[in-house]
Amino acid sequence: MRKLLYVISILIIASMLVTACQTAEAPETEEPEVEAPEVEEPEEVEEPEEVEEPEEPSGDVVEIRWFVGLGAGSDAGTFEAQQAVVDGFNATHDDIELILEIVDNEVAYDTLATQIAAGNAPDIVGPVGVRGRDTFYGAWLDLDPLIESTGYDLSDFDPALVDFYKIEGQGQLGIPFASYPSFMIYNKDLFDEAGAAYPPAAYGEPYVWADGTEAEWNMETLKDLAMYMTVDANGNDATMEEFDPESIVQFGFQNQWTDPRGVGTFFGAGSFLEDDGVTAQIPEEWQAAWKWTYDGWWTDWFIPNGPYGGAEFLQHGGGPFGSGNLAMVHNHTWFVAPWAIDGSFAFDFAATPSYNGVVTSKMHADTFGIPKGTDNPEEAFTVLAYMLSPEVAPQLLAIYGAQPARLSLQEGYFETYMETNYPGMEFNTDIIAESVAYADNPNHESWMPSFLETTDKYNEFWNYLANTPDLDVDAEIEGLREDLQGIFDAYFEANP
Amino acid sequence: MTVAEFGKAVKNLKGKRAPLTKKQKREARWGFFFLSPWMIGFLLFYLLPMIASFAFSLTKFNPAVPDETVYIGFTNWIRAIFNDKEVLLSFTRTIHFAAISLPVGLIFALFLAILLNSENVIGKTVYRTLFYMPSMIPLVATVLIWNGVLNEHTGWINILIERFTGITAVGNDGLRWLADPQLVYFAYTMFGLWGVGNAMIIFLAAVQGVPTELYEAAQIDGASWFRRLFSVTLPLITPVIFYQLVLSVIGSLQYFLAPFVLNQGTGFPEGKTRFYMVYFYKQSFSFFNMGYGATLAWLMFIVALIITVILFGTAKYWVYYATEEK
Amino acid sequence: MTKKNIESRKPLPKKTRDLISSTLLTGMTWGILVLFLLPMAFGVVTALKTESQASEIGAPWYPASKAAYEYEGKDYDMYLVPMDGEMKEMALIQTGRQESQFIDPDNPEAGLITWEGSWRTLERSWEFDPQWSNFRSAWETVNFPRLLWNTIKYAGITTIGAVFSSALVAYGFARFSFPGKNIFFMLMLSTVILPGAVTLIPTYFVYLQLGWVGTWLPLMVPAFFSWGTNVFLIRQFIMTIPVDLDEAAMIDGASPLRIFFSIILPQSVPALTAVSLFHFFWAWNDFFNPLIYLTGNADKYPITVGLTAFNRLYSQQSNLIQASALITAIIPVIIFFFAQRIFMQGVVITGVEK
Repeated sequence: MRKLLYVISILIIASMLVTACQTAEAPETEEPEVEAPEVEEPEEVEEPEEVEEPEEPSGDVVEIRWFVGLGAGSDAGTFEAQQAVVDGFNATHDDIELILEIVDNEVAYDTLATQIAAGNAPDIVGPVGVRGRDTFYGAWLDLDPLIESTGYDLSDFDPALVDFYKIEGQGQLGIPFASYPSFMIYNKDLFDEAGAAYPPAAYGEPYVWADGTEAEWNMETLKDLAMYMTVDANGNDATMEEFDPESIVQFGFQNQWTDPRGVGTFFGAGSFLEDDGVTAQIPEEWQAAWKWTYDGWWTDWFIPNGPYGGAEFLQHGGGPFGSGNLAMVHNHTWFVAPWAIDGSFAFDFAATPSYNGVVTSKMHADTFGIPKGTDNPEEAFTVLAYMLSPEVAPQLLAIYGAQPARLSLQEGYFETYMETNYPGMEFNTDIIAESVAYADNPNHESWMPSFLETTDKYNEFWNYLANTPDLDVDAEIEGLREDLQGIFDAYFEANP
Repeated sequence: MTVAEFGKAVKNLKGKRAPLTKKQKREARWGFFFLSPWMIGFLLFYLLPMIASFAFSLTKFNPAVPDETVYIGFTNWIRAIFNDKEVLLSFTRTIHFAAISLPVGLIFALFLAILLNSENVIGKTVYRTLFYMPSMIPLVATVLIWNGVLNEHTGWINILIERFTGITAVGNDGLRWLADPQLVYFAYTMFGLWGVGNAMIIFLAAVQGVPTELYEAAQIDGASWFRRLFSVTLPLITPVIFYQLVLSVIGSLQYFLAPFVLNQGTGFPEGKTRFYMVYFYKQSFSFFNMGYGATLAWLMFIVALIITVILFGTAKYWVYYATEEK
Repeated sequence: MTKKNIESRKPLPKKTRDLISSTLLTGMTWGILVLFLLPMAFGVVTALKTESQASEIGAPWYPASKAAYEYEGKDYDMYLVPMDGEMKEMALIQTGRQESQFIDPDNPEAGLITWEGSWRTLERSWEFDPQWSNFRSAWETVNFPRLLWNTIKYAGITTIGAVFSSALVAYGFARFSFPGKNIFFMLMLSTVILPGAVTLIPTYFVYLQLGWVGTWLPLMVPAFFSWGTNVFLIRQFIMTIPVDLDEAAMIDGASPLRIFFSIILPQSVPALTAVSLFHFFWAWNDFFNPLIYLTGNADKYPITVGLTAFNRLYSQQSNLIQASALITAIIPVIIFFFAQRIFMQGVVITGVEK
């Protein structure tokens, strides 16, 4: 009824305006004629009526909208399990109706921004990682008051992980839900073919070459091994004279699906921002990692560069590693799922190599957030507590490929997970839990000034490197630092 | 801008003109009657958002935190016009690309329409459908197809070029269509040509509308096929060519979707594909500087409107209407 | 000499000339068409491949599967191995950098045969093997009938609304003179010139206030109030129609509405068909508007939004995307094929009435 009134009032204003425009010429007869097109209106309003839903739900039921798409959860295979959680919630709660909104990741950011800006913010958003959260910097509700008023029990979580979501000046933006440590994953079949030993199965162990010599499992060793595992169409590997870089058919290694900060963190945790909080810097470890990668693209040939990245033989749901033509990959637990690695080749997990004696395994962590724009924070928190409960969380964790944040759920979690997804295969699951100890601090996805613009700038830099041989990488890095400084300066000027 | 114009229109309507005759009044009333669907729709769905988006350009507005929006006057405008180098750079790229893709697109569509209207082509209806077909393939599939055929290592285009000409086209030293700054505009032009179907049917409709007796008359006069084309067909369809030209110019200035889906708006290679609207979109929806984005959009709007008005000004010299504009 | 030649050169008989130009023009069309549809063929071929074929080194361009041989309960790929001066088709059992183990399918009892050299240099035997089942998987992954029905409804209804209302407005612009006409026309084009992305949020806000978000209304209702590009195009066509007929009818006392229905509309059939197709396919491919306004209402999604199910966050199943794209395109292709017959009729009508 309300909207009908709105339409009518707008129509009246409209016709008044139209008439006002024409009073000079044709005041009297205009009115009836303007109404003529209104004849159309009933027919078009009529049609969609059948599809229209009751605007306001009857009774006191509060609608809570759960927005999925900023991270995991917008893949077709996850729809059903998420809907099952929603159905489970609605079956047990009479006063709240949970509604699931899944938006494809590529357009989820625009969609959520539009909804928030127009005053139609969803009530729960997630799973959302650090990147997604910081994209919507300032849009999240501080959960502390709700945690206090409901007496929510946080004792089942690692306090450090709880603090991970406590942001200076903004409060507790999430409750731990899932973490995704990273480690090495290798294609056993390719190692067997090459007659090479597998990468070390535990931290601290050396790598053993075919001739029996041992080498520290560091970036130098990884490079040598990866070059040996890079093969051209004639069967020559990248360590050989005869190797033809124009016809590579198998690559040795890749930091797959991450950005320069992620690649840099492979060598050591760091930040673009110096401790003073205003000066741009490129950490020494990151510079080393980038040069190592650049050489891997263009002179050592063991990492697929830009042009090779688009080649058909590396295309697969799971990217180059999933295609079976990449020997080793460094990635997170979410990557160990049938949609990425389909089990057509044998694979296993190994230790992350060290740089200058230090091992760093970057960490992803997901949670659910409540946007400030929600009208019903209490009800949203009820839903949040339900989703994080020890009974319900495992249903979601299983489809997202995550390690549970709840300590009580961690025991034996990955053994079961792997057995369910890859029955009959043996895995070194111990390395997953061990990798947590080497988590990056500061996190490689941490916030920085003008977060999105900075991201865009360094990605552009990275893209250029990946596609352009023979560059002076040091000069490019210095150029990037200057660009970042420019963005930071502009930020601090606008936000003193 | 629009508001000012609108106000001017209202003023024009109210004063200064000589009073209309009764017949003129009647005609004007009918004119407004036929225009009323548009007028109502404009007031209902377009006017308010247009005004609002202009208002955005005077604010610092982050869609993620709408409550923190502040009025900052013309700061955004000053930044866009005087301080932001990227504005002019991206605009130049847009014009550069348009200079290649626009004429190619128009001429190819017109050429196809004339070819597929010729009675000497056997099986026209099938060809028309086939030429239109790519326009019906959903975008996500189109992008995958072009990324596939243009790939420097395994793409069909390079493999065929190498096989038929012997030029090294495949591989890192070959034709890197989407990565070579020299080639990328041609690759995007090809991509654009694939959507030629819409322009083609519009031209076809126009060519079909040319009265046959005019051709017959010309034929009796012994005019050659080319003469008939240039002295009968083309002049008679200038209104539609004009339409297509205006729309193509607007479309070129707004060019955005293809680079955005092919490279996520990274501007790859070397920023060559960071066109003006890509930059606008990044500011608005990637960086969430909606206020500055709105400024960029309105700046482009002003430029495009001026160009459109100029094009309309030229129309009287070359566009042939059966009815003279009154 | 030359003169004589010219004199003696009679024009070829019309039939022969037509034949030659038919052959030439049809041949040229074919040439362009082949080049034009090459990427399309790539799409079709992709739709028929297995997901893994793309990542197989040395795989042929056509959909194929490797010839395989079952040995002790497992399938092994077949290779062409040079043995004793001839190529022999053998199954590769154990790969190695320097030497590999093969088995001879004709004589498996002979056991493993060692071949020295790099197996990567060997040719593989491929069998043409199109995966028609991809179409079935695509069809079954998403609810195609519902998506198609939603899309047809969206495209169909808005096309009717957009074309009819645009024709009315175009007639107004083309045939009547009234004060401020040019300003109004520019104002109308302004809605086309101003990028839709900048008005997205306030537009969404308007529909939110109307309570239309989550329904088809924001997508359908505006179509009934005409759209700038359509009006502009139809106006251009109407302006090519000579005024004599209108004026004659006007003198006979016909009202403008009558003239619109009995003279302008029939004369504009080709243009209206073009605009209808134009709008129909635009709506058919419209992705962002349905996405924004129908978020969370999966049962109302049109095909474009529904297809994102194949376009996962990290992984894309190219073969299923292409298969679903081809399924999606079938209906518009059929519609187009039949709609262009109206073009022909359009010509006939114009011809007769003149």
